[in-house]
Formats: sequence, C-alpha cells, structure tokens
Amino acid sequence: MPTPTTENFLKHGEDHYTLDDFRSSAPRWCDGCGNNAILTAMQKLCRDEALPPENTVFVSGIGCSSRFPHYMNTYGFHGLHGRALPIAEGIKMSRPELNVFVNTGDGDCCSIGTAHWIHAIRYNMDMTVILHDNHVYGLTKMQASPTSPQGLKSNTTPRGTYLQPLNPLTVTLGIANASFVAQAADWIPDNLYDIVSAAYRHKGFSFVRVMQRCPEFVPVMFDPYITDPERILLLNHEQGIPYDPVLGKTYKNQEEHDPSNIDRAREIASLEDKIPVGILFQDKQAARYENIRDTNKPYSPAMIKEALDSEFDKFTVMPAD
Amino acid sequence: MEAKLEKSPDVAKLTAFHLTGERSGDTLSEISGKNLLPALYAEYRDLSHLRYDYPLVLVEDSDTGNFITPLSVIIDNLLRETVPQGIDGEFLRKKVLNLENCIKQMVADGRDGPFSELWTQAETTLLEAEDAETQDELESYLEKISRTSKVLKVKGRVVDCDRKTPRRSIQHVWNEQQQVTRKNLRKRLDALILRVAGVLRADFEKSAEARSAGNIKGQVGTTFEDTFDFEAMSNLLTETLPEQSMSESRRKRLQSVLEDLKAQQFVGVENLDTAPDKPADPYTYVFETCSEAMDAFMDRLPGLVSVIKAIAIAELELENRYSEERHDPFFRKFDKTSLVPEDLSLFPSYLVLNNIEDDDAAEKARIIEALSSGLPIKVLEQADNILVDMMGGAGQAAPGGRGGQIANMALGINSAYVVQSSASSLYQMAPSISNGMQYAGPALFSIYSGAGGQSAGLPPYLVAAAARESRAFPSFTFDPSAGPDWADRFSILANPQIDADWPAHDISYEDSEHKTIREKISFTVLDFMATDPRFAGHLASVPVEEWDDTMVPAAACLSTTPMEIMDVAPYVMMVDEADVLQRVMVDQRLVRTARQCRDTWHALQELGGINNSHARRLLQKEQALWEEQKKQELDDLRSKAKPAAAPKAAPAPAADAAPAPAADAGPEAAPAEEAVAESVVEEAPPSDDPYIETTRCTTCNECTNLNDRMFAYNEDMQAYVADADAGTFAEMVMASENCQVSIIHPGKPRNPDENNLEILIERAAPFQ
Ligand SMILES: Cc1ncc(C[n+]2csc(CCOP(=O)(O)OP(=O)(O)O)c2C)c(N)n1
Ligand code: SF4
Ligand code: SF4
Repeated sequence: MPTPTTENFLKHGEDHYTLDDFRSSAPRWCDGCGNNAILTAMQKLCRDEALPPENTVFVSGIGCSSRFPHYMNTYGFHGLHGRALPIAEGIKMSRPELNVFVNTGDGDCCSIGTAHWIHAIRYNMDMTVILHDNHVYGLTKMQASPTSPQGLKSNTTPRGTYLQPLNPLTVTLGIANASFVAQAADWIPDNLYDIVSAAYRHKGFSFVRVMQRCPEFVPVMFDPYITDPERILLLNHEQGIPYDPVLGKTYKNQEEHDPSNIDRAREIASLEDKIPVGILFQDKQAARYENIRDTNKPYSPAMIKEALDSEFDKFTVMPAD
Repeated sequence: MEAKLEKSPDVAKLTAFHLTGERSGDTLSEISGKNLLPALYAEYRDLSHLRYDYPLVLVEDSDTGNFITPLSVIIDNLLRETVPQGIDGEFLRKKVLNLENCIKQMVADGRDGPFSELWTQAETTLLEAEDAETQDELESYLEKISRTSKVLKVKGRVVDCDRKTPRRSIQHVWNEQQQVTRKNLRKRLDALILRVAGVLRADFEKSAEARSAGNIKGQVGTTFEDTFDFEAMSNLLTETLPEQSMSESRRKRLQSVLEDLKAQQFVGVENLDTAPDKPADPYTYVFETCSEAMDAFMDRLPGLVSVIKAIAIAELELENRYSEERHDPFFRKFDKTSLVPEDLSLFPSYLVLNNIEDDDAAEKARIIEALSSGLPIKVLEQADNILVDMMGGAGQAAPGGRGGQIANMALGINSAYVVQSSASSLYQMAPSISNGMQYAGPALFSIYSGAGGQSAGLPPYLVAAAARESRAFPSFTFDPSAGPDWADRFSILANPQIDADWPAHDISYEDSEHKTIREKISFTVLDFMATDPRFAGHLASVPVEEWDDTMVPAAACLSTTPMEIMDVAPYVMMVDEADVLQRVMVDQRLVRTARQCRDTWHALQELGGINNSHARRLLQKEQALWEEQKKQELDDLRSKAKPAAAPKAAPAPAADAAPAPAADAGPEAAPAEEAVAESVVEEAPPSDDPYIETTRCTTCNECTNLNDRMFAYNEDMQAYVADADAGTFAEMVMASENCQVSIIHPGKPRNPDENNLEILIERAAPFQ
C-alpha cells in the first residue's frame, strides 16, 4: 500500500484508459469465435478498473484460448500446456502487487493441467482465472476434451465419447478453500462483464467458467441455449450480481441465489438442462497462500544470489584439475 | 454488625459540626486511628482471597491485540482448555486455582516477573506441598499442559497494582504496537531501497560500461579466464546496446531518493544488505516530559520530511507514475507543512511518561501544546494523589486533581485522543488505550494509580477503584477518529451506573437484635474522601446510640441545594476493623468539594449524552408543540363533527354521487396509463432501418469482417450499423444469418433495384 501522500497523487493523477490502451494485434481466432467476446469483456474490465498495463499480467497455457495474452496490451506469459496456474502463482508470490489473470482452455485446465488446477483452488491466491470452455480441443483441430458432452464425435473419438463429461463447477466447489466460483456465457456480454468484474474484485482465486462457442469445430454446441433463453438460469443477489431489468427481459428464468450458500451452489452447478450464469459461490474470508507465506521481508539481491548459488551447487560438476 | 436507633442526638451539635467543622461534646469523635473503611468496601479489606483484575499480565506478541489481560482470565482460559467441566475436573481445578493464588501471593510480595517463570515456581511450590498419592496425577497434568496448552504459551510480565503499574502498562502497549510500526516501516523502506536500486541497476546494465570486458570478467569470475574471450563478448554485447536508457534527471532523482532512504535514522537496520555501510543509530522515542519529546520531534523534522518525500517519490516512480511536469513542482516545495498525520503514523510515535504532580506551569503548557499539535505524541499523565488537589488551597479545585484537569482541558482540543482511567480499570480500558496509541495524532492517557499512599491501609487497587466508583476520577474515552460528533467520539460507558449521580448498591447488616437490615446506599465522593486521613479534621463519627433520623445520608444531602441543607447533618456509612457500622459526619467544606465533583460528572454525563440539557430542552419544546398541534387537531375534529352529524337521514350529497362515472372510466383509464408507461420501457418498434442490439454483441468479428464500413465497433468493442448504405442488402441479410446471437436486424432493402430482392426479403424475415 502506498503512503497517503503517494495515494493522493495516484488518485489525482489517475490515468484514464480507453479500450485501445489494452488492445494489441488483431486476434487470430476464427470469425464468430466466443474468445472474442471474452477478450472484449477483459479489455473493458481493465479499462474500467483503470488497471495500469504495466502492472497487469495475463498468463496462459496452450490452446486457441491460450493465445489470449498476445491480444492484451499488458504483460503476458504464454506458458506450457496445462501450466498456466503454477506460472501465475509464481508471479503472484514474487510480485503480489500485480493484477494476475489466467486464461486456460478446457483441455489445458481440466485435462493436462488438472493437478495444478486442483491445488491452485486450494492455495486460493489472488488471481482471476477464466476457463474458456468450448468443450473441445480447438487448436489441435477437434479432439474430445474432458468437458465434451457424452457422444461427441471427434478426431480422437470417431464413434463418440464414452464418458460423462467432467463438470468444472462441481469439481471446483468440492475443493477445500474454494473462494469464488462463477459461470458465464460468452454470448451474454453484459452479464459476462459483470461476472468477470466481480471475479476481479474478489480477493482470492476467482474461477470463472465461460461457456465459449467454437463455431469452427462444434458450431451447434450451444445453439439450444442461444436460441432458447429459457434454458439460461440467471443468478442474482444483492451480495452477488444484482438483478438487471434489461437482461431480465430476455432471460426471464432467474434465481435469487446467495453466493454464501454452498449447498445450493452445488445443486445449481449440477443442473443439466440449463446453463446457470452468475456467481455460484463466494467466501471472502478464505485464507490466501500469498498472505500465509508472506515472509514480510523483501528479497535482497544478495539473498537471491545465495539461494541460487546453493541450488546451482547441487548440480555443478567442477572440472577436474 | 450492629446498629441501633434509640436516642435523639444533639442536633445543634451535629449541624454546628457540619457548618464549622468544630467538634464539641462527646457525641462526635475523631475518626483518625480507627482504620475505618467505606461500608460498601467491608468485604474487600483483604483482597488476597478475591479474584479480580489483578495481577495483570502485560502480554507480549499478542495475536489478538489484547496486551493487558488479568491473570484470572488466563487461568480461566487454561481451565476451559485443559480441565474437564463438572465433578471430573474438581481436583485439577482446585489445584490450578491454588497455583493462581500462589502466583498472586508472589506478586503481592513484590516478585513480579515473566509469567512463565512465576508459573514454574508456583508449580514447584504446589508439587512440594502435594500429598504423595495425588502428586503423580498433578505432576503428569502439569507436564502435559506444559507441552500442549496454548494458553500457557502466553508471554509477558505479571504485575500488581502499584505506583509503577500505569507507567508500565502504557509503555507496554506502546512498545507492542511500535514493534509492528517499526517492522512495517523497515519492510517498506527495504522494499523501496531494493526496487529503486534494481531500477538503477537495470539501467546500468544497458550501459557500455556494464558491457565492458572488465565488468563482464568481474561478473563471470576468473575460473575460465584463459578460455573465455571477454573482449569479444563485450564487443558483441556493445553492438546490441539498447537505444533507450534512463534520462539523466530521472537517474539523479532515483539516486538521491536511494540515498535519503538509506540515511534515515527513524528505524534501525536489520540484516538486509539494503543498509548504508555504517548504519547510524536509530532514534529513541521515550521521554520524561512533553518538552523533551517536542524538542526531539522538531530536531528530527527535516530528516522526517526528506524520508517521507523520498518514499513518496520512490512509490510514484515504481508505480511508473512519476511525471516531472506534474510532480517536480510539488516535490520542490515539499516541506514540513506537506506532512499529513497519516504519513506520520507510518513512523514510530513519541511516548512521554510523565507524572502530573511533577509538572510545573511551563510543562503543563507544553502538554497542551503537544496535544494540540496534531503530532504523534502519546502522553501518559499519571496521577498518584488526586484528593489533596481537590481540596486545593481554598478548598476550590477541580475534582480529579490535576490529572483530571488536564484530561478535561484535552477534551476541549477536540483533535487529541483522550483516555482517562483508574489503574483498577486498566484491563477494561485497554482497547481504548490501544486505539489511542494507534490514532494518527496526539493522545493523552490520564491514569490514577491509587498508590499515593494517602488512603491509610487500603491497597492501591481499592483506592483506584473507589476513585472511579465515586466519580472522583471517572473513566472516559474521547476518540476524534470515531465519527463527526460527540455521540460517536465520547464515551463514559466504562463507569458504573452512568445514569445516576452516584452508583448505589445494596448493603445488608444485622442490628443489635440480629435482624437483617437491607439498605441501598450510594457511593459518593465523600465516601472516597473519608478513607483519607488528611481529611479526618472534616469528619467525625457518631456512636450508634446517638443515631437519629435527622442525620441524612450524604447522597441525599448532595441532591439538594446548599441552602436546603443548612440544618441537616450529612453522613457516610463506614465500618471499623470489627466490621461495626459507623455514621461519619461530613463538614460543609467537604460537601462543597463533593458538589463540584458531582457537577463535573454532570458535565461528563451531558457530553456522554446522558441528561443532556440541550436535548432535554428541545424535547420539552417539541413535546409542547406536539401537544399544541394535537389539541388543535382535536378541536378541528370536534368542530367538524357537529354539523356533519345533523343531516344523517338526508340523501347522499352530490359530491359523493359525482365520482360514479369517473369510477366507470377508471378501469379503462388505468391500462391506458400503463400502456404509456410500458411503451417507454419497450424497445422501439421494428423499423425499416437495419439495426444491431449492440449491448448483446459478442465481438465475434463476423459482421465486421464481412463489411467493415457497414458494421463497426463502438468504444466498447460492440458492433453497430455504421452505414447501412455502405453495402448491399444481400450483405446485410448474410450478416444477420451469420451472427450467432441473431442480433442483426436487416430492416428493408435500401436499393429497390438490387437483384433477387424477393428472396432476400424472405431470408431477412426471421431476423426483423
Ligand atoms: C505437453 C503437450 N501436450 C499436448 C500438446 C498439444 N496440444 C496443444 S493445444 C491442446 C489442447 C487445447 O485444448 P483447450 O485447452 O481446450 O484449448 P482450445 O484450443 O480449445 O482453446 C493440445 C492437446 C501440447 N502442446 N503440449
Ligand atoms: S478453432 Fe474454435 S476455439 Fe479455436 S479460434 Fe476457431 S472457433 Fe475459436
Ligand atoms: S456478428 Fe453479431 S455478435 Fe458478431 S460482431 Fe457482428 S453483431 Fe456482434
């Protein structure tokens, strides 16, 4: 926290951003790809929260969705497949003042990266995690993912998938110390924006699963929900996202859901015929790893050098004389 | 106890004593030497058998923020934690309470020390005295709790209530909080030093000097000196020197910030390598007088200004927000007037440990100056002797002594945190004391020790408790940060029975026929003064045979006007060493002081929202107004009721009939109105012009890629129809079809000559 004098300056000299400040190269996603809507929501969030680009970092793994950091004019780390979360945790641990965002696909997070995902929930470090869930591996041109609906025909499952899909919401809600679980749909942009804003403001691991359209490989996947707004269940609550009369006109199916009620959150997460959107669960008190492990001491170059040297010494082979 | 009401006393003698203080005849006898105690305190003559707030443990490193805790509370917690409830825990509970008593005795004998040390010693004493058959059980319990109990891990000194207690307690709370302040400041400075140095180093790494062969060699080391061509490496690196490097003005600014941060002496240096080569000794912050503290603050002020300035610049720099244009002029003028209390509160505060009785007039003026200064100066004004001041030279002085005076004056400053408390209430007032220490400005802690030694035979704890109970030294807190008005800021809640002039308690005693008499008696400041032999001259005891109904309890007398009590004789109830009740007459001079004391209490009550005269007056006014209004309404009703009652049987007046057609029209009119209201909310009816429901656009690029002149994004990156004529109707229809969320409404064709219009209009229909 800056001193009051600095704070005063920061407040008065507060920078005002436009969407352009957060845009970099034109996205190379297919036309109609739901990732575009998520990108816009995140850029709007950064603009509205006035997040300085130099203090903001987007971290991703591998996949179409993981190209996200390239399109944000902030710091970014396009990592390894499934490894976005440990990278983000490392960043948060050493630079807690940065705004950390993670973009990960259903393959990246729920397949190869599952172990990291589970433990990241438990660690509850302050970051906003967007699971771009298109129910398929997009980048590698259509293989089934853990969230693919049963029976989906793909390059790896020509006769259709055999297993029930994994439900990222119930999984997250089942992990001790989960602190923020939400779901959004990329085709309801106002609601998507509200949800990512709430997720950003939550201090802890905010997990937002976004139902994301992939018109390239699964073009009709979400059609039943897009064409029939009755199949969307909008969650509202004064402690969560308040009722929005404009959205209420299209989405009449609404539930007042208290985000502190984990039992109801689990029931909502398990709904099969509807897509619930909104905040399912929030616990503002959950312990955060970066606070628990805060040594209260900055690392000086000498300390870092010493630690590195001792690590290197373990592997050093000294040349024979 | 015995009491008898038989003969009439010599009323004239009693009232004469009250008026003059002269004792005549043998009805009135001196009280000195009788070792009398206020009747309400009869049970407390020996405190050693009672469990109360003392001894206190001055808790170190408390994670709950409770820095002052009674030993009895710790023992209760231990019992809760380690001993089963009910009969099962009977034996151990008794033993633990014995242990507590043992520690209490040690402390009473002057052996204060760390809790753990006293505990261990008490354990040994207890075990030595234990019977052989139960010794094992006790030993294994003690051994187990020494390993497992969280409560027993408490660290801190155990102290009794004596002259040193206020000073120790205040210094303790200050120390504990200052440790945190210092640690946080050190951390802040270290982090800034490291990061500013890092920025400078990163800049240096871009320089030709950093990439010189010599420098690279220095970094790589000499192990591979023969095989490594440092010159070649340097050439390679120099070729790729980045074009951008730091501006000279920024480099200078960062260097000077770094020097200022390293040179500060406000907190000591830890083992980090951020410190200057030879760290200067950090300042000390504890002083005996306000004058010394203020002088020290002023001496250090230039250094404080430069380090706060350096912190602010560094933070702006590291946030990438330093703008020379905007910030240079401000920082050029940055001086002591630029400091705000919140900045100062990042630094250690100054503690003054003072005894009010040592202060001369000049020091008193400095105290008020310090308290008005807005600076983080925390002042303990300890008072050991409040009664003598109360009588003052001419018997005219503010009750509460000089300590009370200073505290009352400090209330008027309005921006100083003020806590007043007797030593007996330190535990109760500890949260206020902590808050006062944390408050960003000055704070005064006015504390009466009860240990002046004037109240013969009474332990300081009891004297201090009596001072609070009798309103001679009431507890209060004034917290300027708690809100905008007195109701938020000021509290007298820590006093007993705050609504009353004097707290009243039930007392029961036996008369000469062993009948139990119950009575409610008040504890006035006169009861408190009667414990002090220096006032013996103003007091006289009356033997029980002389008691009469014409004698009035002091509290009753104090609630009348001075003129009304010219012929009465007020008394306070006391007991002698044999617990026999005495009525002790009080002379007029003492009563006068008691009135002043009560008036001061009334003023505090008013400030604390009790019997507030302004509020009372307002209430009376409002009540009168309300009554007047009600009366008026009643009169109006009555006058209307009379004519209305007359035409009872007459047909309904025209006015009643008139609304009928309107009532018919009602249901029609209402929907019409609703319809109007609704049409405002409803979206515009489908128009011939094409449009997009922009707020629902998902930025998917379909339409914009199809025709980026026809479709464009707004500042929220959501699409709208930028120019319907910039393309064909065919493109418009295709965009509507492609839009996955179906929010493009194509409208009517713009060009009647376009090909295939009929088919296009048909395709457009579902999207209109
Ligand atoms: C270690 C490793 N294994 C496999 C891959 C191949 N691979 C690249 S992306 C991908 C799946 C991506 O799916 P998802 O995370 O759902 O992202 P999407 O492309 O659908 O956004 C896979 C398996 C890889 N890059 N690295
Ligand atoms: S393949 Fe699917 S997920 Fe990937 S960019 Fe294209 S539409 Fe989007
Ligand atoms: S096609 Fe629809 S959702 Fe996509 S950009 Fe255009 S209007 Fe928006």
